[in-house]
Amino acid sequence: MNENESNFEALRRILAFKNRETPPPGYFNNFSAHVVARIRVGETNESSVAWFSKLLQAFEFKPAFAGSFAGALCMLLLFGIVYAERPDAAPQTLLTSSTQISSPLAMASPTDFIPQTGSSGLMIASNNSVLNLGSVASLFNQPNQNQLAQQVSFTVPGN
Amino acid sequence: MIMAETVERTELELPAPEHESELVRRARKGDLQAYDDLVKRYQERIYATIYHMTSNHEDANDLAQESFIKAYQALKSFKGGSTFYTWLYRIAVNKTINFLKQRKNRTHMSLNDIDFNAEHDSDLIALISEKTPRRDAGLNELQKKLNEALLKLSEPHRLVVVLHDVQGQSHEEIAEIMDCNIGTVRSRLYYARQQMQAELADYLK
Repeated sequence: MNENESNFEALRRILAFKNRETPPPGYFNNFSAHVVARIRVGETNESSVAWFSKLLQAFEFKPAFAGSFAGALCMLLLFGIVYAERPDAAPQTLLTSSTQISSPLAMASPTDFIPQTGSSGLMIASNNSVLNLGSVASLFNQPNQNQLAQQVSFTVPGN
Repeated sequence: MIMAETVERTELELPAPEHESELVRRARKGDLQAYDDLVKRYQERIYATIYHMTSNHEDANDLAQESFIKAYQALKSFKGGSTFYTWLYRIAVNKTINFLKQRKNRTHMSLNDIDFNAEHDSDLIALISEKTPRRDAGLNELQKKLNEALLKLSEPHRLVVVLHDVQGQSHEEIAEIMDCNIGTVRSRLYYARQQMQAELADYLK
């Protein structure tokens, strides 16, 4: 190796010349200030997108995490599709809830929902029970029993 | 008497050069003043390494700043297994190599001026005056040839030459920075020197 070193002595002398290449005078005066300013700007911007960038960084540095996250999403999607297409899932729920309540709607017979036609044949009246859903707190709440049915009639425009 | 006390206290309160580990500890807690001190300590060496790798002043400026910013953001992951200096170097080197891979075939040299004192370097005078009658022209020509020869090396070979022959780092330090063993550093250095010697044959006769 010493022989190699001596073979390259002239080359090393030339390479040392590279140290003579220097940036303009005063170049480093504000270098650290620029770095710190950019860090400060980054910190203020970072707070708004911190969670999203952290998620992306986690994907970037941990491929296993990215794979498991994607797998979990696929499983959730698959479960949703299977559950939605199950024939007995939704009707069973509706049946259970309809037996629990005794609202006028639940007590009505199917013939009550057939539109009544007047003598002229143009008047369409409806005896459908329309529940006032305004008092329902959420979509999943059951309507109250003491809600009144309202009678609604429709007239064809122009008659 | 009061004056003497004041002088004495001022002398005692002069900021002593802080230990690197203390600055790192403070910077990890978000103390930007401490990090500013760390940047000032290493800015010239980091810039020089990147500059010698890219042969471009503007790229070296951007990459050096980005390296320091990335190091600050990753400071919490710094376990202290190596010195802060080595860890910082590794970030700068990786960033530079990634940049060079993206920049491939778009090489544009933007070289710094040569130090005025170089003209008084006896080794260089002997080297250049034999080749060209005008010394200034010779120095600029040598600078250009030298940078072109470096850019022809692959990134790992160039890095070894820059760290060892230009910046004077030991094989052990380079191995730690490049995350490889010393044997690899030695073999890369040998191969890179051979290539450089062939490229600069006119100046080495």
